[in-house]
Amino acid sequence: MYWVAGGFIFRRVGSPFHSLDPRVKLLISAELFVVSLTAYSVTQLAVVMGVMLCIAAVAKILKRVGRTLVFSAGFSVFIFVINLFARQSLLTSAIYSVRFLAIIISTSLFFITTSPDELEQVMKSAHLPRDVVFAFTTAVRFIPVLMLDAIQIVDAQKSRGLEVEKGNLIKRVRKMVPVLIPLVVNSVIRSGELAEAMESRAYGAVPRPTSLNRYSSSKRDKLVAAGSLILFIITVYIYVRFPTPL
Amino acid sequence: MIEFRDVTFVHQTGKTALRDVSLKVEKAEMLAVVGENGAGKTTLVKHVNGLLKPTKGTVLVDGEDTRLKSTAELSRKVGIAFQNPDHQLFSESVEAETTFALKNFGFSRELIDQRLNWALQFFGLDEYRNSSPLALSGGEKKRLTLACILAWDPEVVILDEPTVGQDAIQKEKLSGIIKMLRSTGKTTIIVSHDVEFIWPLQPRLVVMSQGRIVADGPAHTLMGDEKLLEGARVMQPQLVKLYQRLRRRPDSPFASVNDARMWITGPVGVG
Repeated sequence: MYWVAGGFIFRRVGSPFHSLDPRVKLLISAELFVVSLTAYSVTQLAVVMGVMLCIAAVAKILKRVGRTLVFSAGFSVFIFVINLFARQSLLTSAIYSVRFLAIIISTSLFFITTSPDELEQVMKSAHLPRDVVFAFTTAVRFIPVLMLDAIQIVDAQKSRGLEVEKGNLIKRVRKMVPVLIPLVVNSVIRSGELAEAMESRAYGAVPRPTSLNRYSSSKRDKLVAAGSLILFIITVYIYVRFPTPL
Repeated sequence: MIEFRDVTFVHQTGKTALRDVSLKVEKAEMLAVVGENGAGKTTLVKHVNGLLKPTKGTVLVDGEDTRLKSTAELSRKVGIAFQNPDHQLFSESVEAETTFALKNFGFSRELIDQRLNWALQFFGLDEYRNSSPLALSGGEKKRLTLACILAWDPEVVILDEPTVGQDAIQKEKLSGIIKMLRSTGKTTIIVSHDVEFIWPLQPRLVVMSQGRIVADGPAHTLMGDEKLLEGARVMQPQLVKLYQRLRRRPDSPFASVNDARMWITGPVGVG
C-alpha cells in the first residue's frame, strides 16, 4: 500500500524541476492537464505522455510516476471496459482510458515535486482564504500519516484473522469496514487534537500573518514559464488547425 | 517453538530493518525485546504471524515456514496486541469487538459465547458488554485489545509496547496478566521500552540495535551491563542501579522493591 502511496507523496529530491518556482510547476502541470484533456487522437496522447515522462525523468521521479501509473491502471481498464459496453469503438475506448492516465500524471507531476509549504505559498499567492489554504495543505501533509495508519490498522485486523484479499468484490468491500472505521475515527480525533494544538499556538490571533518564505521568480523560472506557454499555445493551435476525427 | 534463521528484512522503501537475525524461542518461554526506536523490534515480531515475510532467511513457527502460511492461519497460533488500541477497535459493541476474531477463525456459536464470557469477566469488561469500544477509557481499550487476543486462546501472545499510555495500576494489572500467561504455559513476547515494567517479570532479554540482536540472555545478567544497554539506548532499571551502587550486596540484583527493602532493612523492617 505504501509502495503505491509513494507515487503520490512529495519527497525532496535535488532536480532542476524540483527547484523551479512552485507557480511555474503549477503552470506546467495545468498546461499538461488541459493538453491531456483535449487530446483526441492516439498520436496526440502518445506525444503528451512522452513529454510528461521526459519531465518525470528530468525531475528524477520516473519510478514514482510508474507507481502512479500502476495504481491508476485498474481505473483506466475500468474506463476502457465501460466505454466498450457503451458501444464506443475500441480506439475511442482506448483513447478515453489513456487520457485518464495522462490527466493523472499531469497532476501528480505537480504534487510529487511540490512540498506542502510551497503549495501553501502558491495558494496564498492566489489570494485564497487563509483557512481554506490551511485546511488543504494540512490534508496534503497528513496523507503519508494516514497511509501509515491504514497499514497499521490492516496489520492489526489481519492479526485477528481478517483476510482482506479473499472473496469476491462485495465481500472485499465489506471487509474494509474494520479498516475504515478506525481510520476515520483516528483522523477525526487527530484533527480535533491538531485544532487545539494550533489554537494553543495562536492560530488565528493575527488577521494577516507574515510569511517566512517569499517566493520570487528567477530568470530561469521566467524562461521555463515562457517556454512552456509557447509550447502550450503551439499545441492548442495544432489541435484546432489540424483536427483529427476520433 | 519460534525460530528465526538468518533473517534479513528490507522494507519496500529500501531500508533494511532486520539484519541476519537468528533467534529461538521455546514453548512457554517469556521473552522481552528491548532497543532504541527503529531498532527493528516491531518488525521482528510482525514476522511471527506472517504480517511480514523475510527478504532473506526463514522464520519457522512450530516447524512451519511462515512464507507458506497466511497471516490468518498463523494468527490462530500467534496473537499480537498492537501498541495503539485505536488501530483495531471498530465494532458497535465490546461484545462484537471481542467475537470478531473468533468468527473469523470459524469458532462454533457455543465456543464463542464461552470464550467471550471468560474474556470479558477476566479483564473486568463485562459491564461494558453492550457499550461502544470507542467510548472506553485508554486503559479499558488496552484491556479490550488483550481480551480480543486471549479470547481465541493463541499459543503465542505478543504484546507490542503494552504499557504505553497506562497508569501505574493498569501496569500492575498487566504485569499480573503476563504472569498468568506464563503460568498457563503460553509463549509470551513483550516488546517494550519500559524496563521498569519488564524487570520484575525477569524474562529472557533480547537487546536489539540497528536491526541486529546485540545481546540475548537472562534479564538479570544483561540488565547489569550498563555499556551494552547504553549502546542500545536502553536505561538500566532503578533496582539494578541501586544494586550496583551498594557496597555490600546479594549475589544477584533485586527482582522487586520488596526484595530490595528486605535486603536493606531486614525482614522485620528497620527503617
